[in-house]
Amino acid sequence: MIRFRNATFSFKGSAGVSDATFAVEEGEFICIIGPTGAGKTTLLRMIYMDAIPQEGSVEVAGFSSDKIRSKQVALLRRKVGMVFQDFELLDDRSVFENVALPLHVIGMSREEVHSKVDGVLDKLGLTEKSHHLPRQLSGGEQQIVSLARAIVKDPIVVLADEPTGNLDPAASFKILKLLEAIQKSGTAVLMATHNYNLVKDRNYRFFEIIKGQVRISSG
Amino acid sequence: MDKFFYLLSEGYRSLWRAKLSTFSSITTIGVTLSFVGFGAMATSNLARLANESRSDFTMEVFFTQLTTDSEAQKIMNEIISMDRVREGILITKQEAAEIFQKEFGENIYDLLDDNPLPTSCVIKLEESGLEPTEMEPVAKAIEAMDRVEKVSYPAEAITLIENYFQGMLSVVALISMAILMGTTVLVSNTIRLTIYSRKDLIRILKLVGATDRFVKIPFIVEGIIVGISGGVLASILTYLFIRTANSFLMLFTPYQLIWDWRVIILLVLVVALFSILGSRKAVNKLLT
Repeated sequence: MIRFRNATFSFKGSAGVSDATFAVEEGEFICIIGPTGAGKTTLLRMIYMDAIPQEGSVEVAGFSSDKIRSKQVALLRRKVGMVFQDFELLDDRSVFENVALPLHVIGMSREEVHSKVDGVLDKLGLTEKSHHLPRQLSGGEQQIVSLARAIVKDPIVVLADEPTGNLDPAASFKILKLLEAIQKSGTAVLMATHNYNLVKDRNYRFFEIIKGQVRISSG
Repeated sequence: MDKFFYLLSEGYRSLWRAKLSTFSSITTIGVTLSFVGFGAMATSNLARLANESRSDFTMEVFFTQLTTDSEAQKIMNEIISMDRVREGILITKQEAAEIFQKEFGENIYDLLDDNPLPTSCVIKLEESGLEPTEMEPVAKAIEAMDRVEKVSYPAEAITLIENYFQGMLSVVALISMAILMGTTVLVSNTIRLTIYSRKDLIRILKLVGATDRFVKIPFIVEGIIVGISGGVLASILTYLFIRTANSFLMLFTPYQLIWDWRVIILLVLVVALFSILGSRKAVNKLLT
């Protein structure tokens, strides 16, 4: 499903990713650990083709970085759910509208959008907050909204870049459990974190990244 | 279809969400463009005035006192046969007395024993290809004819209006061009600022898989709404200007400025076009 072949992406002032070769299969849970600035975010950006490798290639859901055109990048991103440390929610839109955004992009009908969004919000326990604005929610709740937006389009993989970075331990653990539930439902999850203590006891596949070098190990 | 309506409503709702910035954009565009509207209206009215004066290619020829009506008719026929003369209307001594009575309400025979009004004729010249200043040689030729006492024509007034019109036209055109250029920059900067303030939205849309077109359409819809609203505001201000100017003009002259819809439609279209181009340019810059 995701294949890195000697992929390198480097830029000034950061380690980037150097000569990475690995594969991620459907329904896997990968935890990418490493210190700040080691290249975790760059690795995830290479998956959603925001960073096209200068050497080697990355293949995701049949789209190869060698041949992908800008219009196809949009199509690829419709298959990839993303969660960020700072939530990346639209402040002037309700929880419902934020979660519905990827479905409008796909061009779903209003009825389908309502049914899908209501379903996801119900699953994640956000139904009562659906008309709230992000600023009316706690950090943990905002991250759950971000997760809801990532999974509402039934992606093949969810990329979570430091999803617990701005959260307290209790909220962090809740997010972790939700990501595990997503993985159990068949969606692959790649989570980047610098907080090794949070994940060290979990049964994940670990990728350690230091100064752009990816080392694969089991949990 | 759902996607299309979603994009249209997104454009409209974005304007509503940023009410203050929308209001300031529309006001800026409207006020600035109203100056172009004033200029265009002034030019259009000046053109009308000049055209009206141009169509007045007539002159009055007065014959000497002893010229009989039949002699006057003969001379008038000679004048009509001249180059550039279109037609002539003879006004006999009797007709002149009738006109006098109509205009002054007095019978000339009651005031004086005899009718001192001369026989005259109104001569109309060809209009096409003739400049008002070119009336002079024709008038001189008629004046040189036997039994012609005086030729009266409004050449000086026409020349004055023509000269003013050309001068005013150049000034108004220059000012309008400068304002239009300034407006273009202003409109595109206003829209650009509005779009930059929402670069987060563009980034998030791109992250969830939106195509460039999906991102652009709501901004272009916004551009159209802001542009048309700005154009309508400019039209309202121009209309108010015309009304105020007319009440002022009424104190001095019967001449009134006329409201020209074509100018307004053109104004709204131009602003809408600028807004669309400005939106496109700004979004494209953020997308690349």
